[in-house]
Amino acid sequence: MPIRVLVVDDSSFFRRQISKIIEGDPDIEVVDMAVDGQDAIEKARTLKPDVITMDVEMPVLDGISAVRAIMQDAPTAILMFSSLTQDGAKATLDALEAGAVDFLPKRFEDIARDKEQVARVLRERIKAVARPGASASIARVIAKPKIDKKPAPAQSSKASGASASNSGRFQILAIGTSTGGPIALQTVLTDLPADFPLPIVLVQHMPGSFTPAFAERLDQLCSIHVKQAEDGEALKPGVAYLAPGGMQMRIVGRGQIEISEGDSSLTYKPSVDITFDSLADEYNKNVLALVLTGMGHDGSEGARNLKLKGSEVWAQDEASSVVYGMPAAVNDAGTSSKVLALDAFGREILKAI
Amino acid sequence: MSFDPDDEILQDFLVEAGEILEQLGEQLVDLEQSPTDSELLNAVFRGFHTIKGGASFVGLNNMVEVCHVAEDVFNQLRQGEREINAHLMDVILRVVDAVNDMFETVRGGVEAGPAAPELISQLKAIHDGTAVSEFDAAAAPASAPAPVAQEGAESTEPPSKLLAESGDDGDITDEEFEKLLDALDESETQVESATVDIEESAVSADDEITEEEFEQLLDDIHGDAQPGGQPTAEAATPVVSEDDITEEEFDMLLDNLHGKGQAPAAPAEASTAAGSGDEISEDEFENLLDDLHGKGSHGGVPLDTQAEQLVAQAAETTEQIAMAASTADTAPAPAPAVEAAPPAAPVTPAAESQPKPVAEAKTPAKPKTGKDAAPQGETTVRVDTKRLDDIMNMVGELVLVRNRLVTLESAMGNEEMAQAIGNLDLVTADLQTAVMKTRMQPIKKVFGRFPRVVRDLARSLRKEVSLDLFGEDTDLDKNLVEALADPLVHLVRNAVDHGIEMPDVRESVGKLKQGTVVLGAAQEGDHILLTIQDDGGGMDPDVLRAKAVEKGVMDAESARRLTDSEAFSLIFAPGFSTKDEISDISGRGVGMDVVKTRIVQLNGTIEIDSKLGVGTKLAIKVPLTLAIMPTLMVRLDEQIFALPLVSVNEIFNLDLTHTNTIDGQVCVMLRDSPLPIYFLRDWLVNQMNGVKKEAVGHVVVVTVGNQRVGFVVEHLIGQEEVVIKPLGAGLKGTQGLSGATITGDGRIALILDVPGLVKHYGRQMAHT
Repeated sequence: MPIRVLVVDDSSFFRRQISKIIEGDPDIEVVDMAVDGQDAIEKARTLKPDVITMDVEMPVLDGISAVRAIMQDAPTAILMFSSLTQDGAKATLDALEAGAVDFLPKRFEDIARDKEQVARVLRERIKAVARPGASASIARVIAKPKIDKKPAPAQSSKASGASASNSGRFQILAIGTSTGGPIALQTVLTDLPADFPLPIVLVQHMPGSFTPAFAERLDQLCSIHVKQAEDGEALKPGVAYLAPGGMQMRIVGRGQIEISEGDSSLTYKPSVDITFDSLADEYNKNVLALVLTGMGHDGSEGARNLKLKGSEVWAQDEASSVVYGMPAAVNDAGTSSKVLALDAFGREILKAI
Repeated sequence: MSFDPDDEILQDFLVEAGEILEQLGEQLVDLEQSPTDSELLNAVFRGFHTIKGGASFVGLNNMVEVCHVAEDVFNQLRQGEREINAHLMDVILRVVDAVNDMFETVRGGVEAGPAAPELISQLKAIHDGTAVSEFDAAAAPASAPAPVAQEGAESTEPPSKLLAESGDDGDITDEEFEKLLDALDESETQVESATVDIEESAVSADDEITEEEFEQLLDDIHGDAQPGGQPTAEAATPVVSEDDITEEEFDMLLDNLHGKGQAPAAPAEASTAAGSGDEISEDEFENLLDDLHGKGSHGGVPLDTQAEQLVAQAAETTEQIAMAASTADTAPAPAPAVEAAPPAAPVTPAAESQPKPVAEAKTPAKPKTGKDAAPQGETTVRVDTKRLDDIMNMVGELVLVRNRLVTLESAMGNEEMAQAIGNLDLVTADLQTAVMKTRMQPIKKVFGRFPRVVRDLARSLRKEVSLDLFGEDTDLDKNLVEALADPLVHLVRNAVDHGIEMPDVRESVGKLKQGTVVLGAAQEGDHILLTIQDDGGGMDPDVLRAKAVEKGVMDAESARRLTDSEAFSLIFAPGFSTKDEISDISGRGVGMDVVKTRIVQLNGTIEIDSKLGVGTKLAIKVPLTLAIMPTLMVRLDEQIFALPLVSVNEIFNLDLTHTNTIDGQVCVMLRDSPLPIYFLRDWLVNQMNGVKKEAVGHVVVVTVGNQRVGFVVEHLIGQEEVVIKPLGAGLKGTQGLSGATITGDGRIALILDVPGLVKHYGRQMAHT
């Protein structure tokens, strides 16, 4: 049964190009095309596609509103085509918040150097997100009432009601994630209270133009403080540091952040492995590392090193993962000591520290 | 990605981009009138956004660059962070021109160069709300106008030094962003955009335009190369009309007329920006094929051999049409191709050949053939106009064969045959209409460019003019649309230039400061009526008469005898212009006569009416289609001639004893006014001079410009719809003939060019 895709874009040129790429793979097929958000909602309802590719800017009804409506109506895996600009970042984050499962740059040049690779990436991504469970779990997350938890500066609030003690076992929390990460991070981090006793480092595969806005968005939603990591910064408890897209993040010399360009041949920027490795060197057995949803297996090497040093690694379960790639790598290798559903992490973390 | 002009994806993009660009022009002019219309703002934003997206997909980085900044500006506008002012409008319109230029270049198969750097920097300056010279931007990377957020891979083009040098790779910190927002808030009002280019020296925020801007505008209008050296070989952009038409264009027009059906493929063609494909709806296509297969039957009746041959011919032609029609719809997915060619055909000879064309359709067609790659969701098909022209030709042949059969049948009187022929007649007529419709486009395509033309012209002349359009949905043949574009532009510009007075003059005579030009289209039976009306100063017939004498077009006596209406028609005479100084816009006196010639070439007519102080109205009539024309067949001696019915007013019998001669011109009184009559026989048939004229004949009254004249013919045959065929090499260029055709009884008839006839022979007569 080929994966059924609904292509949504107001440009007939794009509709055709994307359809051509999709039709070139026997495992996926274009079930229909829609020209604007309203059209998309109706067609999603009647055709119940497995995956929807969605443009942001469209007449009549824009893509983000359409995502929202579709995720309420009948959750489906939606891939946003976004432009990699400042405004594009905001729009993408809105889309992810509305329930889109992942995003692809509209400027295909940015994915790849040539059309063959563009085609490959697109097809891979569609296949990766086409799992029925993925959109259902996202739907659950976004259905939770959103409270803007960001307190006024110099105040702290305990929105989640739980307060944290520190047994001393762990000195730092590290989370690595990719596809489906934004929503996953949102879920986990919003469960943590403002006085969370550990510093947190976050590694999310994301372009450099997006991470600042993403950090800001998380900051608004969480009780803890979230910011994009800066070179030379000292880690503080109750603060989550997001690795800047396009760069590599290491922790050096007892709690200092080092941001560098890294080797240009590296696939992932930022790479979870690199961060985890540096943590293993610095903190030995005092790291609690989480590997959440994502394609590929970035982080599995770093996780193994952490485990060898005596630290603990937890991974997300298949049912709640948008893409069960990175967690699978860790689980299958036996590196993880706990496999949890997404909404269980917050609770478990607080228990463990 | 390397530039490959034949790349199908590129061509695909160009078609869509072309449509968007057309709309953008209109939308922007509308936006000027309603600058806060959020729908318009969003639509323009999306327009730039979509072109940018597609351009990046096909690797047209220069286009991406300029569209990107434009998109950013419009994003600000639609979010309410910025407001439109005259300067912004000017820059944006120039941006659209630049994109159009690039577009045309790429369409011509050449990679487009970058947009003028000043243009980009002006655009960016608008976006940032600051006056930043290239210097400043390069020197201060951190607080540089980085909201033109560049993606890392973007800056590959050398001229856009700003992008390369500013060193910003798209990551701006929170602080930089804040700083920028502050900067934007403070400097709302337009600061001088102190760019290196001297052309934008004045504070352009107010409504006055400087000398340089005026020059710039004129340059824009006349399509001169943008500063910054664009490799555009093409001087004519879609927005521009030239006062001269080139040799090539002339030839192309004649070709179009004589049914060679060459779609304007050469990039040198000063045609609209529309792509090379045409869209016909699924339904129309189905109908077309239904007509071919379903209705009417050819065989099964014992036939006379000649008729048999003709029927076979008809069947063959039908087959050809079916083939052409099927290969036109070459969707790669086999299902739609089969679906579109209704397999449910009753068994006719044509149906058998169906599987073949479908098989042909599956093989990749010539690069020029447009095809729709999407299996579902699209109800239109892109068809190369050349194919439609070919189909039109074949339908023409079919019409001729049908005519022949009709004539034969009436001679034979076979009952069943008559029925069959009757059916064929109906089907052919339907087919003809259906094919004509596939080539129809709404005149909106041409009208679309006018708001801009009027706006630019009025601004440069410091007049206030509003343009009203109606009848935009009127359909006409694609060739007609293209052929009329330039004449119409010229006439509209004339209306603004010569017609509408300066605002103070208007006020002083009690008119509103703002003049109105109304451009309308309507279908009247078998032809289209186009009107251009202005409420300007009108024309003074006496001034025209005087000019005519002054220019030596005629002597004082003849001038005096002209009716007002004839005087108005003088402006179509070559070299006639009442503007004493020649401006760039008009006044060279080559415009109007070319306009008239063009319209006459299309078998059309043009009339002027004017009232001094009130305004002027021009009415153009053109037949709906160029290829097939209803005519009046007449016989002179043994030869048959066809008169275009569109020119024919009435026919009456002539008692030749009732003629008068005025100034050497034979006339007859028609409802109390003299009608000059000409004996066609004398002109067109050899050795008839001197042979005694019949006492009674028929007079066919025809319209030539504003005048009416009568042609005397011996025999009237009747009305017949004919297919215009070009004259052979020997006869081509003969005065008074516009083509030939084959009549119903198989003979050759020459088609008369009425105005040409009168012009050529009329003068001669006056001298004898």
